[in-house]
Amino acid sequence: MPDAAATALAPGDSAQGALAFLTEMSPDLRGAAILAADGSVLAASGEPGRWGEDAAALFAIADGAGGESVEQVHVATEQGEVFALRHEGLAVVAVAERFALASLLFFDMRSTLRNLAHTTPSTSEGGESRNGGED
Amino acid sequence: MPPKPHRILLDRVSGYADEAAAYMRRRRVARRPFARLYYANGRSADHAFDSDSGAELFVAAGRLLEVAGKRPKP
Repeated sequence: MPDAAATALAPGDSAQGALAFLTEMSPDLRGAAILAADGSVLAASGEPGRWGEDAAALFAIADGAGGESVEQVHVATEQGEVFALRHEGLAVVAVAERFALASLLFFDMRSTLRNLAHTTPSTSEGGESRNGGED
Repeated sequence: MPPKPHRILLDRVSGYADEAAAYMRRRRVARRPFARLYYANGRSADHAFDSDSGAELFVAAGRLLEVAGKRPKP
């Protein structure tokens, strides 16, 4: 189970809890990571380093594709589906089985980040400045 | 002889379930890979697989799929 393998990094006790909550809410989820405003991985289900690199690459490509900062990314492939979301200065990237219900997963991801941002106000403040810079 | 009322209800529920199952089958067969971006102003944009930006998005998504791995069997 992804939540069993969840790896917490400083200051990620609350992030680890949020990731476990997200995994529990979404049975189609294969793995996910929560990232701070500076791109560092707060919690991940697996190798945090790789999650951080690949999530940053996805957001960079998505931002470049449209010429502005994206809020949500949804890529559906034959092997599975990738969802990414920025909200309240945090970001979450999730990988799910094919045909996962996108709207539900985005809703869960958004509420997870909202709860996490409110429990860790310092992280949220940093994220607002980051988003402001990107826009 | 008219059918019993509970049969009418059961037939109607089965009909809806059959329709839903057929819709899901069609969705599985007909759905193609896609990359879709959503922006804060409510705009969204599709990027085709054969476009430059679409191809890059699929490569980046493929790396994340690798990192996540397969879901373990329950």
